[in-house]
Amino acid sequence: MTKFSVGAAAGLLVAAAGLLTIRAQDPLEATDQPELSVSDPSCTFFGRDHDKFVAALSDTRAASHLTEDVVSKLGSAKKIMTDANYASVLFPSAPGGSRTDALQNPMVGIIDKYIFQKLSEENVAPAPATTDFEFVRRTTLDLTGRIPTPTEVVNFVNDTASDKRAKLVDGLINSPQWLDKWTIWLADLLDNNRQNDLGVVRFPQGVSAFNGFIRTSLQQNKPYNQMAKEMIAATGLNSYQQGELNFLPGYVMGGGPIQDVFDLQAASVAEKFLGLAHLNCLLCHNGRGHLDALSLWGYNKTRTEAYGMASFMSHTFTSQQRFDANNNNVYYWGLQNNVAPNTTVGLARNNGNNYTLDYSLNTQTGNRPQRGNVGTTTRVRPTYIMNGALAPVGSDYRAFLADQVTSDFQFSRTMVNYMWEYFFGIGLVSPSNQFDPMRLDPDNPPTDCPPSMPCTLQASHPRLLNELAQSFINSNYDLKALMRQMTNSRAYQLSARYDGVWNEANERLFARKLVRRLWSEEIHDAIVQSSGVPATYTNAAWNPTTVNWAMQLPEPLGTGPGTFLDPFLRGNRDDEPRRGDPSIAQALALMNDGFVMTRVNSTATTTTLAQALRLPDDQAVTTLYLTVLSRYPSPTELATAVNNLKNTNATARTQEGRNLLWSLYNKVDFIYNY
Amino acid sequence: MNYITNKKKQRDSSVEFCRLHPHRFRSFLDRPDISRRAFFQLAGAGLTGSFLLPRASAVTAGQVLNSGMLTQNSAKKVIFIHLTGAMSHVDTLDFKVTNGVTPDTFAPNTVNGVAWPVGLLPKLGAHLGDVALVRSVTSHALVHSLAQTWAQVGRSPVAALGDIAPNVGSIVALEKEKERTASQKFPAFVALNAAAASGQGYLNASYAPFQVTPRAGAASITNTTNSNGQTTFSTMYSRLGQYDGAMRAQAPYGADLKDMDKLYSAARDMMYNPVVDAAFTVSNADSFRYGNGTAGTNFGNALVVAKQALAADQGTRFVQINFGSWDHHQNIYAANVLPAMAQQLDNALGALIDDLKASGRFGETLIIMMGEFGRTPALSAAAGRDHYSIQSVLFAGGGVTGGKVIGATNATGSAIADFGWAGSGSGVKRTVWAEDVEATMYSALGIDWTTIRYDDPFLRGYEYVPFAKDGNYGPIKELFT
Repeated sequence: MTKFSVGAAAGLLVAAAGLLTIRAQDPLEATDQPELSVSDPSCTFFGRDHDKFVAALSDTRAASHLTEDVVSKLGSAKKIMTDANYASVLFPSAPGGSRTDALQNPMVGIIDKYIFQKLSEENVAPAPATTDFEFVRRTTLDLTGRIPTPTEVVNFVNDTASDKRAKLVDGLINSPQWLDKWTIWLADLLDNNRQNDLGVVRFPQGVSAFNGFIRTSLQQNKPYNQMAKEMIAATGLNSYQQGELNFLPGYVMGGGPIQDVFDLQAASVAEKFLGLAHLNCLLCHNGRGHLDALSLWGYNKTRTEAYGMASFMSHTFTSQQRFDANNNNVYYWGLQNNVAPNTTVGLARNNGNNYTLDYSLNTQTGNRPQRGNVGTTTRVRPTYIMNGALAPVGSDYRAFLADQVTSDFQFSRTMVNYMWEYFFGIGLVSPSNQFDPMRLDPDNPPTDCPPSMPCTLQASHPRLLNELAQSFINSNYDLKALMRQMTNSRAYQLSARYDGVWNEANERLFARKLVRRLWSEEIHDAIVQSSGVPATYTNAAWNPTTVNWAMQLPEPLGTGPGTFLDPFLRGNRDDEPRRGDPSIAQALALMNDGFVMTRVNSTATTTTLAQALRLPDDQAVTTLYLTVLSRYPSPTELATAVNNLKNTNATARTQEGRNLLWSLYNKVDFIYNY
Repeated sequence: MNYITNKKKQRDSSVEFCRLHPHRFRSFLDRPDISRRAFFQLAGAGLTGSFLLPRASAVTAGQVLNSGMLTQNSAKKVIFIHLTGAMSHVDTLDFKVTNGVTPDTFAPNTVNGVAWPVGLLPKLGAHLGDVALVRSVTSHALVHSLAQTWAQVGRSPVAALGDIAPNVGSIVALEKEKERTASQKFPAFVALNAAAASGQGYLNASYAPFQVTPRAGAASITNTTNSNGQTTFSTMYSRLGQYDGAMRAQAPYGADLKDMDKLYSAARDMMYNPVVDAAFTVSNADSFRYGNGTAGTNFGNALVVAKQALAADQGTRFVQINFGSWDHHQNIYAANVLPAMAQQLDNALGALIDDLKASGRFGETLIIMMGEFGRTPALSAAAGRDHYSIQSVLFAGGGVTGGKVIGATNATGSAIADFGWAGSGSGVKRTVWAEDVEATMYSALGIDWTTIRYDDPFLRGYEYVPFAKDGNYGPIKELFT
């Protein structure tokens, strides 16, 4: 963050004030404003208090206030808004929808090719393109979980470069906030919880280590196949130190034989990395008679074939490493291969189980139906269900499985689809963890389906899915490249506004952007950022021990201000997934929770509201809209707010300012990413 | 532990297999609900329109079917008390005297024909003529979190649809929505001191447990008052209308914005609402009365709120209260362990039954109290009791015949000696499972427990009680005769 001298700060504030005046009051002429004296209270904003404020937030994007960049950009732009042209400035109707040309290129890449081709075939008109205001807010939220600062909004809108959208995406993808957001996204996918309903406990240290593994991988832009391999094939004895050791222990279940653990671990690998939740069904029973209406692949698979997948786990001793002799309730998790019975590995004793033999078919009890010999077969060799590949005797089974999984085309398809579901609202295959591999190839459409299943391709855009998957492979599983590809597409950049009658059935055509309610953490962080009132959460067991943003909380269970965060359904990475539906409790939280009200009512001089209220009414309103909603107020909105602020004494004006800030936090265009 | 001990039975019943199989699959992003979007999401998954389920019944996505069971329909509302941590059954509802072990202060006696720890649970003892005890209940699992979820969703949390299974209270909220009137402002499903309660599963968030932490002398619902005071809040809310009314009405970005506006109206209705305040505020007098006479307890306060919220007739039909912790592995008889917990339980539950009977609402209110499992009949080396699969469940009100004891364990409480009920229809006498308790709740409320909703994300069909249509689980009819 640039540090200002007091003198320079004063000048900048003058410029800011003047420009806001131009925008709001005098559209035709810019006039110079008298220079503020150094002792003017407004100057503290850019002076001593400002630095303190920034230090408190310890985040370069925390200060939402107007900076010198905004000022200079506003100065050159001299945008003119009147009631008459307001709509065309904010919602331009010109083709492409932008004041720049980025979107006027007809179509970019495979996403647009297939999305617009299908829209055309179905004779469904796409929504208009996003305005710059819509785009900068949407993309900043989707990629970093934050709202853009006013500086970023204004800089972006006023940039005249033709590639400014791509540049924005690049900048966001390389920001520290991107790391926060995608660490959470992957931790959600990989069920990184402190404890789950199977009774598995990772402890806060394990959760932090798992987050650390994800975060470091993202930071290095580690190819996703590499990341997956490291988790599937992990070995080691200290899950607090070695983050990737935390994945497989999450699926240890008691109350049954060791095969139950192998089964659930294999099923989880299949679900997370191959989108094949149905493997879990097959580990109890053949697909026929159970998956007939759901999956042609599942319908054709047997329990014995599924055992082949579980067998990859059969040489793995998932152990609790009890490092404190006086406390059995703390331990690391360890994963070791080929452990003989009655041996000790690290700090764990393996009593009866033989992890040097393949998956045994002899069980009487447990959580799954009895396993029995198949003919003369009493043990199942590790066999990859998609191609029959057999792990060589004596090899590292999980390493073999990791290679098979990550070199499977379905691996790429699965991540591409999860990502699509996030950016576009619905997966190309949905639900995104229930792929039917036999209904995915448009050049080889399904045949011989059971009567209960329509013999159709599963994906809404089958060729797009496959080509995206191929392109993900070609990029060497580059997650950043995949995100660039999606967010730079014209399809992603369609507006959520839709002219004419909207047919819900067209959602899967992606004719408009489907809004999503902000995540719990996103709403929290948007309020912290835009109010200028910081938040601090500390726990000695976390690494780092103190965080200032909800997006940096290590897990959703019992962290941060629960009365505010929990109603927004952040999930628990176990039996309650993150979700986006609205509720009464959310409205109550946004209207009344202490987290919001202390920020609305703060009497600190450094808050956005305090700074804004030092400006004339119209500028104050504009500042708040830009800071909270990432857009300018419409003339009607401006007039309404100014009318409430004007001719009031200082106390009443402060309260009206608070009313406005509070209303902005409760506005539907704050709550949703549109 | 062995869940399946009878090999023959296991082979005979594929249902027995399925009941226990651990499916863990869901989308980690948004779980579909029965919103507009979800329906089309499903339709697009290649399952458009009519399809055939494995059991060859033709159903359509979104359809809700049942087999037309005759329900008990004797209760309007439920108070579900979940004793988390698992209460020792042999010290309480299935009291066994062990010489040299049972403390003298428990004052063993026979009340209403039932062996009872009069010193431990005097008030409940005085109400034995009003409550029914089922002593032949077995839990499927002995892991706290797993078994607690099991008790709330009535199925294995790791079985088919287990991950997306709604809390029984959410299903009740959904089923009773048709009886709701416009003037009713309370959430249908209220969870008291139950932050860890199972949620609405795949259903819409409007059926979610509405979390309240009751407090004495103050309004209990989080965020129904604003720190700026009512007058200022009214101004703020009217400003919100000025600033956001147009966007909410026009919803330029889609219908979700309108949905949110409706929820704001509902939220506003709950604020500064004397009816809400009256129902969710615990007076000090009531708090003390449900407590120990001179001080309140969290559990007592919760029962006061449960009573008041249901009496308000504002649409609340299901109240879940979590009360723990009963996980007494060590020194169970120390004064601050089981006796302290039991006293809180006894004072509060005794007062609740008194009040419900006095107000004439006992008959319409079904009370169910259960833990996730029981505790070992033998005292451990640490003078505690560990996890055990057998427990007793208390039923009262809502048409339940008071004074009944259904089922019996052996002399030590270690095994079931008499199931005490006819079973769920297959003619086989057997233990009572959490699924049967769930079916009993539904039946008492007039909800067909065999209902299957074909609106779940897998279109597999969400069974209110798993395999109930095959008679594998069902209500304990003996409670009502």
